[in-house]
Amino acid sequence: MSRLLQEAALAGEDVAWLKEYRGRGRERFAAQGIPSAKTEAWKYTKPNMFLQNDLVYQQVVDEVRNRPELPFETYKISFVNGIFAPQLSNLPPKIEILPMIEAAMFYPEAQALIGKLTDTTKHPFAALNDAYFNEGCYIRLEANTALDKPIALMYHTTQEARGGMMHLHNLIVLESGAKAELIEQHSYEGEVKLNYFANIVNEIRLETKAQLQHYKYQNEAFKAVHIALNVVNVKSGGIYKSFCLQKGADLARNETQVVLSEPEAEAQVNAAYMMNGWATLDTTTDIEHTCEKTFSSQLVKGVVGGQAKGVFQGKIHIAPLAAKTQGYQQHRALLLSDEAEVDVKPELEIFADDVKCSHGAACGQLDAEQLFYMRSRGIGEEEAKAMLIDAYLDEVIAKVDNEKVSEWIKSLLKM
Amino acid sequence: MITPLLEIEDLYAGVAGKEIIKGFNLTINEGEVHAIMGPNGAGKSTLSNVLCGKQGYQVTSGAVRFKGKDLLKMSIEERAREGLFLSMQAPVEIAGVSITPFLKHAVNAVRAHQGKPELDTMEFIKQLREEGRKLNLDADMLKRSVNVGFSGGEMKRLETLQMRMLQPVMAILDEADSGLDIDAMRLVAQGVNSCRSEKNSMLIITHYQRLLNYIVPDFVHIYANGRIVKTGNKDLAEELERSGYAAFVKESK
Ligand SMILES: Nc1ncnc2c1ncn2[C@@H]1O[C@H](COP(=O)(O)OP(=O)(O)OP(=O)(O)O)[C@@H](O)[C@H]1O
Ligand SMILES: [Mg+2]
Repeated sequence: MSRLLQEAALAGEDVAWLKEYRGRGRERFAAQGIPSAKTEAWKYTKPNMFLQNDLVYQQVVDEVRNRPELPFETYKISFVNGIFAPQLSNLPPKIEILPMIEAAMFYPEAQALIGKLTDTTKHPFAALNDAYFNEGCYIRLEANTALDKPIALMYHTTQEARGGMMHLHNLIVLESGAKAELIEQHSYEGEVKLNYFANIVNEIRLETKAQLQHYKYQNEAFKAVHIALNVVNVKSGGIYKSFCLQKGADLARNETQVVLSEPEAEAQVNAAYMMNGWATLDTTTDIEHTCEKTFSSQLVKGVVGGQAKGVFQGKIHIAPLAAKTQGYQQHRALLLSDEAEVDVKPELEIFADDVKCSHGAACGQLDAEQLFYMRSRGIGEEEAKAMLIDAYLDEVIAKVDNEKVSEWIKSLLKM
Repeated sequence: MITPLLEIEDLYAGVAGKEIIKGFNLTINEGEVHAIMGPNGAGKSTLSNVLCGKQGYQVTSGAVRFKGKDLLKMSIEERAREGLFLSMQAPVEIAGVSITPFLKHAVNAVRAHQGKPELDTMEFIKQLREEGRKLNLDADMLKRSVNVGFSGGEMKRLETLQMRMLQPVMAILDEADSGLDIDAMRLVAQGVNSCRSEKNSMLIITHYQRLLNYIVPDFVHIYANGRIVKTGNKDLAEELERSGYAAFVKESK
């Protein structure tokens, strides 16, 4: 039995389906174990090298002293050390937002959807997440509703959670024509070497013509492991548009799996990552066009210094019936040092005719001529580099529609 | 009183393992304007790059003092902050970095070095627009990325604008006149001349005597085979225009 499977006092153990659901998660995780270099989907990222032996599942309530706040107004759902923190939350009126465990126990509509988008036989950490199914939230927007402000999911970790692991599962449902903006921030306070494991599953369902803008900023502590799986299903005319900036953690993966299951469904999955030191930051995508006339695009740009490693695995799958589909993918990285590394694995599986599909990957370095030019005007070397890095990432940040969000992201680009 | 500003002594330097500058001597005093003329490939741009500290260039021997300090020990940005400026022969494009914030950073970095407070943004923009107008670079152009999509002449005007904004004590102009039409040449020359003072000096690298009609030099040097082979006044440029380099280059061998 894996050391990550521990006894835990979880709410709702007396609810038969929940007990069974968790049990299945345990079994499936036990069957797969912590992925290593031998696991194809994880061969560059090697989580077994990062997850410490002594991680403990714990629920430590702690006070927040120093959480970075967003520079614009949002509704807030806060988690501290993986536990819902109502006192730090500010929920929007009139929409359904519930702690996950409550939704699971008392809301049959939620119950019917939990775990349905995720194949836990192929995602070991999602299986592990199920084994500890307890925290997270359920968000549902009724048909044709929209919010006046984004909803921010604020995950914050304190010193007290050192050596712990947390598993959160969110279910987000936008009914037909509903529109929302979701922001995720992952932050910490205390020493930068704080170690913990954050494991997050987001199940997102966009019904006909629903639109979700999903922004994420991952800035975990330098010894943290962050594994996130976003599973998204987009129906006819729906749009899922995401942007993720990853900067923190020792090892992090942000994996986005989108199924475009009806005509005119669209996904835009964009991301940026930047790091120094020894971190491994992984962006994995899997866009499945299962229906005709669907559209997807991906742009991922990374800046890697020190001995850090960037990983991009991008898959576009176009099913036999998915004619008149378009799928585009670009990955680019800037290597700031000789020891920096980027591993890229694009996969295009095209089984339909009459599709437009392309992918590209490129790695480069800061341009010495440009640096000389800037420095010869008096700009310091570090500042010149920072300006060139900003300019490099500008292309992908320009994909963010909300100007307040893009300004915020630009302010986070210090390495 | 004559105060030396830039002193180059018996300099040997090269690039990519190739020795190009071979025993170069030149002293430029405060307030002086020197012109260097020389055949293609003689090493004029190499000299400018060595003086500005560009990577990839090796100094094998000799010394360079700027304001009495060892220039070769300074980083690229230190040289600029001390007041050395190079108007480049072939400026590089920097996509995504717009001219206005770029120059603001540069100006403030130089000011900080001089112990002056940062320029207020509005004040800076006012100055930049004013100087831009004199060089026929309008506000829209100043919003563009540095040199991106600029014509040859526009780049040279932008180099001159930067010089005006940074107010260097020692400006090296490496073919500031190449690619300029007659009107633009006059604008650039005016810009350069307005940087002239009793304290400020210039080194003008050019192939044509015409620029020197606008920016009249105190000395003209002919540079060949890695060193100065002849020095004269502005008339030397005219002589060169008529006769070409052959006589001087042969003499030096
Ligand atoms: N990076 C480099 N690698 C190899 N050779 C170089 C390099 N840079 C310059 N050179 C060579 O050094 C010599 C001097 O070049 P430089 O550009 O200094 O000449 P210049 O006098 O400025 O010529 P021009 O009048 O054409 O501008 C040339 O032969 C050139 O090819
Ligand atoms: Mg040259």
